[in-house]
Amino acid sequence: MSGSKPDILWSPHHPDRYVICDSELGLYRIGPVGSAEAKAGTLPLSEETAATLLAINSDTPYMKCVAWYPKHEPECLLAVGQANGRVVLTSLGQSHNSACKELVGKEFVPKHARQCNTLAWNPVDSNLLAAGLDKHRADFSVLIWDISSKLSPETSVAAEKIRLSSVDLDSSTVVTKPLYELGQNDACLSLCWLLRDPKLLLAGMHRNLAIFDLRNTSQKTFVNTKAIQGVTVDPHFHDRVASFFEGQVAIWDLRKFEKPVLTLTEQPKPLTKVAWCPTRTGLLATLTRDSNIIRLYDMQHTPTPIGDETEPTIIERSVQPCESQIGSFAWHPSSQNRMVVVSATNRVMTDFTVFERISLAWSSTTSLMWACGRHLYECVEDSAEGVESMIEKDIATKMRERAQSRYGHDTVQVWRNHLLAGGKDAQLKSLWHDLFYILSVSHMKQCAEDMELKLQGNVQSVVYSGIKNIVKTTSGTTESRRCWIGSDRQTDVLRYHSEERCLALRLCGWISRGTDTDVENFLRSLEQEHEWERAAAVALFNLDIRRAIQILNKGAMAEKGDLNLNVVAMALSGYTDEKSSLWREMCSSLRLQLKNPYLCIMFAFLTSEPGAYDGVLYESSVAVRDRVAFACMFLNDAQLPRYIDRLTLEMKEAGNLEGILLTGLTKDGVDLMESYVDRTGDVQTASFCMLKGSPGEVLKDPRVQCWIENYRNLLDAWRFWHKRAEFDIHRGKLDPSSKPLAQVFVSCNFCGKSISYSCSTIPHQGRGFSQYGVSGSPTKSKVTSCPGCRKPLPRCALCLMNMGTPVSNCQGTGKSDEKVDLTRENKLAQFNNWFTWCHNCRHGGHAGHMLSWFRDHTECPVSACTCKCMQLDTTGNLVPSDSS
Amino acid sequence: MFVARSIAADHKDLIHDVSYDFHGRRMATCSSDQSVKVWDKSENGEWHCTASWKTHSGSVWRVTWAHPEFGQVLASCSFDRTAAVWEEIVGESNDKQRGLSHWIKRTTLVDSRTSVTDVKFAPKHMGLMLTTCSADGVVRIYEAPDVMNLSQWSLQHEISCKLSCSCISWNPSSSRAHPPMFAVGSDDSNVTYGGKVQIYEYNENTRKYGKAETLMTVTDAVHDIAFAPNLGRSFHVLAIATKDVRIFKLVPMRKESTSTGPTKFEVQIVAQFDNHNSQVWRVSWNITSTLLASSGDDGCVRLWKANYMDNWKCTGILKGDGSPLTGSSGQPSAMSTVLGSSVQSSQNALNGMSAGSSAWSF
Repeated sequence: MSGSKPDILWSPHHPDRYVICDSELGLYRIGPVGSAEAKAGTLPLSEETAATLLAINSDTPYMKCVAWYPKHEPECLLAVGQANGRVVLTSLGQSHNSACKELVGKEFVPKHARQCNTLAWNPVDSNLLAAGLDKHRADFSVLIWDISSKLSPETSVAAEKIRLSSVDLDSSTVVTKPLYELGQNDACLSLCWLLRDPKLLLAGMHRNLAIFDLRNTSQKTFVNTKAIQGVTVDPHFHDRVASFFEGQVAIWDLRKFEKPVLTLTEQPKPLTKVAWCPTRTGLLATLTRDSNIIRLYDMQHTPTPIGDETEPTIIERSVQPCESQIGSFAWHPSSQNRMVVVSATNRVMTDFTVFERISLAWSSTTSLMWACGRHLYECVEDSAEGVESMIEKDIATKMRERAQSRYGHDTVQVWRNHLLAGGKDAQLKSLWHDLFYILSVSHMKQCAEDMELKLQGNVQSVVYSGIKNIVKTTSGTTESRRCWIGSDRQTDVLRYHSEERCLALRLCGWISRGTDTDVENFLRSLEQEHEWERAAAVALFNLDIRRAIQILNKGAMAEKGDLNLNVVAMALSGYTDEKSSLWREMCSSLRLQLKNPYLCIMFAFLTSEPGAYDGVLYESSVAVRDRVAFACMFLNDAQLPRYIDRLTLEMKEAGNLEGILLTGLTKDGVDLMESYVDRTGDVQTASFCMLKGSPGEVLKDPRVQCWIENYRNLLDAWRFWHKRAEFDIHRGKLDPSSKPLAQVFVSCNFCGKSISYSCSTIPHQGRGFSQYGVSGSPTKSKVTSCPGCRKPLPRCALCLMNMGTPVSNCQGTGKSDEKVDLTRENKLAQFNNWFTWCHNCRHGGHAGHMLSWFRDHTECPVSACTCKCMQLDTTGNLVPSDSS
Repeated sequence: MFVARSIAADHKDLIHDVSYDFHGRRMATCSSDQSVKVWDKSENGEWHCTASWKTHSGSVWRVTWAHPEFGQVLASCSFDRTAAVWEEIVGESNDKQRGLSHWIKRTTLVDSRTSVTDVKFAPKHMGLMLTTCSADGVVRIYEAPDVMNLSQWSLQHEISCKLSCSCISWNPSSSRAHPPMFAVGSDDSNVTYGGKVQIYEYNENTRKYGKAETLMTVTDAVHDIAFAPNLGRSFHVLAIATKDVRIFKLVPMRKESTSTGPTKFEVQIVAQFDNHNSQVWRVSWNITSTLLASSGDDGCVRLWKANYMDNWKCTGILKGDGSPLTGSSGQPSAMSTVLGSSVQSSQNALNGMSAGSSAWSF
């Protein structure tokens, strides 16, 4: 510890204590921040920990090195090596402890004074303290002291005592005779005891590393090298040693000591400390001078025995525990990968943990597993409600929930599907209403055989092709200038009519039947859903101000109604078509402050010039269907397609499902859905929506097929097999080409023909399994033989009847006391007759018999067959997670 | 909302990889203790180790599951320069009753001359194919022509990437519009060697994999790479763990039917986060690729999520040891992540994670 350069030592026994030594020794205790013991004097080490200074010892000047006594008792005993080569035992905060009283203050003095470079306690024979000294002529540089030795034997050191007395020492505490003297005519810069044999001492001498054996001090093993500083044994591999020289670290294997097994990349500045992590194998930390980073070398492998020439992988890593330059660091003896770092100046300390590389993985059911060090952690999505409502759920979770609630399966009241999806998503609501209107219009057309539309080609394709295509073909548009309903005043608003526009209005849901342009039904349904503002706007656009006012009044009166609606109604009633009126002026400016977009567009409509309705058409918070319906009523043949095209493009780019109204289920619609899927990943909605399309073109689009496959794959991954099967059934109805062929048929052992009874008349995929049993139809009496060659079918391994013989409903007597509910039993009765077999041992029988057998057994019921039929398939043992 | 809990892993050394099977009911872990463990989830959600065996004579870097339609098959790769394929054997012993299963080695792939750093099965629509990458910069693609015989693997492709490879990821898209494609990351730390992520694509005409793209902006060592589940999207998303978390979008350009070259991509960087302070170790996507998890040198696991505008944000932070994150590190206040209390009080309880930044390099 030359001058102020500090060092740190962790207490070998107290996990919360360490000593900092620079010009004096300071004992600290580390504890959590803000604990009860925390006083004003604590020093913060990290966000969570702080240190308290317990004791200071400045009795020993000229400290060069310090070593902590490794045994529990006496605790807090330190050996200090001084610049003059003396080793002094001292203690901190234990002054009255009797256990070390006689040891504290003891001094070990070498023959010739020179600097003590290093100290090392023997980890087993803890009386032995090795000291490494500078060179002094031919003197020994490694001295091993026995701290338990009583006073120096009078006779042998009498002469020295006389010499020593001149140095003013209390001779009673001075030991001058080392137990061993090693390393003659050399200097010792670093020392450590070998853990594999406590009689062996490894020393970094002047130009070599030497291993001294205390049993035979005349011999030493040595290897010439420059890397002689900071020798340290890997606590996890006792044959692995690190030492350094300048900026280079050498790793040695004591089993082949001739040369380093490894030299680590050289640092530009000289190293000051190298230390193995005591809690983790193969982690070496190094520190260079004037640096604020600690470099770590992760040796991720067991040291290979001699002969293997492979270069071990080393992951180099550097950490920066603090901003300032690091004076020294010390690994915590037991806390995982933790160290305390002290700055080069000012004794600023930092508690720091080196984190392991965390590996992680998501499961298909949205739980996250990660591994940190040797530990595993699982993080599952908590199903608890409440907090969740604040954050939007992930689409994976949403799709799972929607699959559970049979989303997409309502084929009659198609619009209800948005309720099955949770009813919160405006786009889904719009989508399913669009589909509902498309389907109902298409259905109605088919029944009514609408002549006019039929002339234009396939009715269905027109309906499915969306408003964009419908209005393109518009022809025979008539204009009308109507009166405000309930008044004689002529409006200056032009309203357009045509067959196509009418159809578009129907697709928008504004009118329900034929050419009937009455929106009353629609208004009533809006009133029912308490969509007052929207209803009022629709009424207004149908030029019925009175009705609009009436709706607003109703809305204000309704439960939880907004009384402001009355105010709006009042404003509305003051409508005047005078161009320069105050009413018009104020409404056109104040309307922008209305929060509800429908109220806003009502006044926009009333205050705008005829034919220039941008205030309505481009109000993006108004539902697309209402804007489109409005456009169909008030835009002329030139404006309308332009507006619709523009809106369609906008919807397609945004992937907004409301745009399906415009695109219909066409290629355009698939484009729109593609950008929706790109944005959300919601292949579920995409699959169900496209299945609703008219059979043909859309379903053949590879993108649609891809969504469907992806959705089925998701259901499989979630083990929603029942849902997947239901989806396939649903899909098969709408897209017959997707039906798979029969997977299996049983052929007769004798003639090789299928035993399927009716195979001669209909192809294999015709019927299901029931034909293997007898339960299929009452007309088939018995099928116990092959229909081809009349040879009997194999026998059930349990009842020994030929397959095809009906199974009596009674269970085997082996297990009859189970209570099975009757409906379930009836459902299973058919299945009991099925012919099952193990495709491993190819024994089999009636499914019911087999199931009951394997409830109690693991091996096949056929004698001498040891096949464990029921355990062969791991996936088969998984249960679907959606079975009800 | 997420809750973390600890599972007694009982590995004797660092765990390097965790991998779920297709259904999320089984899990495999591998470790420096040279073993692989297989875990099964019971009905009550507990994980039980049902197999543990020594797989390699070195640290096992990665372990991965084949699609269950090929059986219960695992692949592992190791520092010992090999990759191995394992299959679960059932019905031949009574282990199952004791809740244990038996795994046997079907093959050892010994072609690499250096540490095999990653192993991945190709998407199932390509058949049973296995890819390895190694520290000497070679990607190898093996195929089992007979899925009933897992001891026969033929080396189909050997692709030299010139740079030491650390990780590999297949594009999971099964769309016919997307030819087979994988990305390789390199942990070479020399920034002058250029892009550390290369993307290779199968060419139907030459029947070879050719380089389609190099992400030149990723010049630092790459530790992990993950293609997002495609889910029928028209583009590909790639997450990269390098000195930060990066998310790239690869939009295939419309290709003329006559051209035979590799697909051209429009490469967009969607997000880049340095919240881990320094090196990022792993990235993983959830099944819909709407959530990304990453781990880094700050000892934390972070969750990322995009809003409808494709803006990615951190939605949760979990400490690596499962303990609650205390103190504010400038994180969003409305965190969706709440940590459980059931977490063990390991020695790491006093993490000095505030202390600073750190950096790894090979």
